[in-house]
Amino acid sequence: MIGGFYRRIPSLYMARRNLSRTKVRSVLAALGIVIGVIAIASLGMFGLTLRYQITESLGDLGNQVLVTPGEDSDGTISERDLREVQAVTGPGTTVVPSKARSTVVSYGRGGGSGGGGGGPGEPSAGGERRIVRGIENPGLIYSAREGTIPDPYRSGALIGPAIAEEYDLGPGDAISINGSSTRVVAVLESDSGFGFMSPSNEIILPNREFQRRGYSQVLVSTPSSTVANETAVALRSELNGRRELVQVQDFSDVADSIGQTFQALNLFLIGIGSISLLVAGVSILNVMLMSTVERREEIGVLRAVGFQKRDVLKIMLSEAVLLGIVGGIAGAVFSLVAGMVINHFIVGDALLAFRPSNFVYVGLAFAFGVGTSLLSGLYPAWKAANERPVEALRS
Amino acid sequence: MAVIETRDVVKRYETGGETLTALKGIDFAVEPGEFVSIMGPSGSGKTTLLNLLGLLDDPSEGEVLLDGEDVTGLSDKEQTRARKRTIGFVFQNFYLIPTLTARENVEIPALFDRDPTVEERSVDLLERMGLGDRLDHRPDELSGGQKQRVAIARSLINEPRVLLADEPTGNLDRETGRQILDEFVEVTERDVAVIAVTHDELVNEYVDRVVRLVDGYMGEDAPTATGAAGGPPGGEGAAPDPADQVTADAVEAAVTDVVGEESDGDGDEREMPGDGDETEVPGDGDEPDAEPEGEES
Repeated sequence: MIGGFYRRIPSLYMARRNLSRTKVRSVLAALGIVIGVIAIASLGMFGLTLRYQITESLGDLGNQVLVTPGEDSDGTISERDLREVQAVTGPGTTVVPSKARSTVVSYGRGGGSGGGGGGPGEPSAGGERRIVRGIENPGLIYSAREGTIPDPYRSGALIGPAIAEEYDLGPGDAISINGSSTRVVAVLESDSGFGFMSPSNEIILPNREFQRRGYSQVLVSTPSSTVANETAVALRSELNGRRELVQVQDFSDVADSIGQTFQALNLFLIGIGSISLLVAGVSILNVMLMSTVERREEIGVLRAVGFQKRDVLKIMLSEAVLLGIVGGIAGAVFSLVAGMVINHFIVGDALLAFRPSNFVYVGLAFAFGVGTSLLSGLYPAWKAANERPVEALRS
Repeated sequence: MAVIETRDVVKRYETGGETLTALKGIDFAVEPGEFVSIMGPSGSGKTTLLNLLGLLDDPSEGEVLLDGEDVTGLSDKEQTRARKRTIGFVFQNFYLIPTLTARENVEIPALFDRDPTVEERSVDLLERMGLGDRLDHRPDELSGGQKQRVAIARSLINEPRVLLADEPTGNLDRETGRQILDEFVEVTERDVAVIAVTHDELVNEYVDRVVRLVDGYMGEDAPTATGAAGGPPGGEGAAPDPADQVTADAVEAAVTDVVGEESDGDGDEREMPGDGDETEVPGDGDEPDAEPEGEES
């Protein structure tokens, strides 16, 4: 009984029948495609997940622009420059100027807080030379792990989590900066990314503690790396005329090149996956050739009873494509499972496997699988179609 | 008018630099509804002739006409189309497709036609062949005779004018062979010509005409003609004649290795003329064939 569906596509019907005749062989041939599709799709997804994970941990790096004094400046960024920076940057960006000073800092309740032993201004025992920053409103770029960042920020020190841990400090403890004791008001939240101003080893004081005019750097945070790039370009052209008053660094180039690197890595991984698909293609070629030889007489009969060459071609190609489609579907399903496993272990969220870009890879792998089968089927099909029926029926 | 006809058909095979002539000028015609058998020792060119009649092969010289129309030199596509329209094939080994049921096997030639009546016609044909209860059986569930009847039904599905049968009884026991031959007779009653290539003398009890092929010649054209097989043999004259038999055997002994392998094998292991024993092998010169003949008679 030939069903209505197959009645419309008779070559598919014949192909299915032929494939089911040698089930084990067909399954093995399709298995090759399954493996190839899984290899391509899951390696693609793996690369994508890796990239996602790296991008996540890069954090805001790509979104930040750092403005530092240029060669022709007096070593600081003036208030006028700062206003220009603020004028150039659009809405949604934050501009955080900061000052910096190298000074002697000592920690610990016993050591510096009293400042008793040594004279005023003398570093107490355990003191070290450090860069201390002055930031007007650190709340814009940092958040507190312990304590709170005052707003407005007028007094007290903020310390990075690494220092807090090293010296066992917390809010309320005192540290001595350049001889004067200051209370810690907050320990900063450690930042997962690699921004320009990683908080971990920072010691931050209110701006007013710095007598010096001008700023040592201005951090501009933008919503995206594209905006960061544009801002950087605008800042360079606006602030620097003939003289290089400021130096503008942005990592959007770096972020882009990281992206490109991962793109290349992905292509490489997919290339490796393609090799397994190539092997699968060879195995389909082999299976199809065998079946062409085995069914030589049958094909001869088909030709004798009036099948045109292209009819035979259609049947044989349908077989190859059917193998590819079945293998491809199975492969796609398995790859999504593999993608869930990969995402579970790398990013910790299995459902991220269902990101649209992953489906691109699954679709790509599926198309490659079917395409490989089709290509592998071409030669055997051509061979079968061009066999002269006389020769085929001669046995 | 003859439904199928050959005019001075010559078929040469070239293998390994040697030219072998399997058919040496055959004039042959079959009328609609005629049942003709082509007899001859193996290697006499029977199968080659059948292939030419079935448009499976092109003659080296001469013409093959279907319904008076020259079909030699047509493209493969046109020949296939003409073959499908006019000719049905029945093979010694049935050549049914093992994965398909009897009915599907019968429908195969019309598979790509999108013809809604095919299903009905195939059932009709199978019922006519007495296989109404075997429609959905696979070939391995059918006996030899049943398989051959499925094959005949298949050959008739496109309503051909000519049915070509290659040793149709070759794989069947005598009783089943008779049943199959009865089917052929019935087919001819519907104005379909049946041409059967065979070794089986049983076939000759059913045919209208027996044509003998010897060493690429047909009937009286054969240089072996001694009167015993003179003239186109009629149904009666087809009865095995001792002299004829001897002739056939003698020639067969001489030519089997030459032409037989040529048309039946792939030619590689074929012995070249002159490789054989002391009997002179027939080449294009015909005398050697005649010699044993003359001595016999």
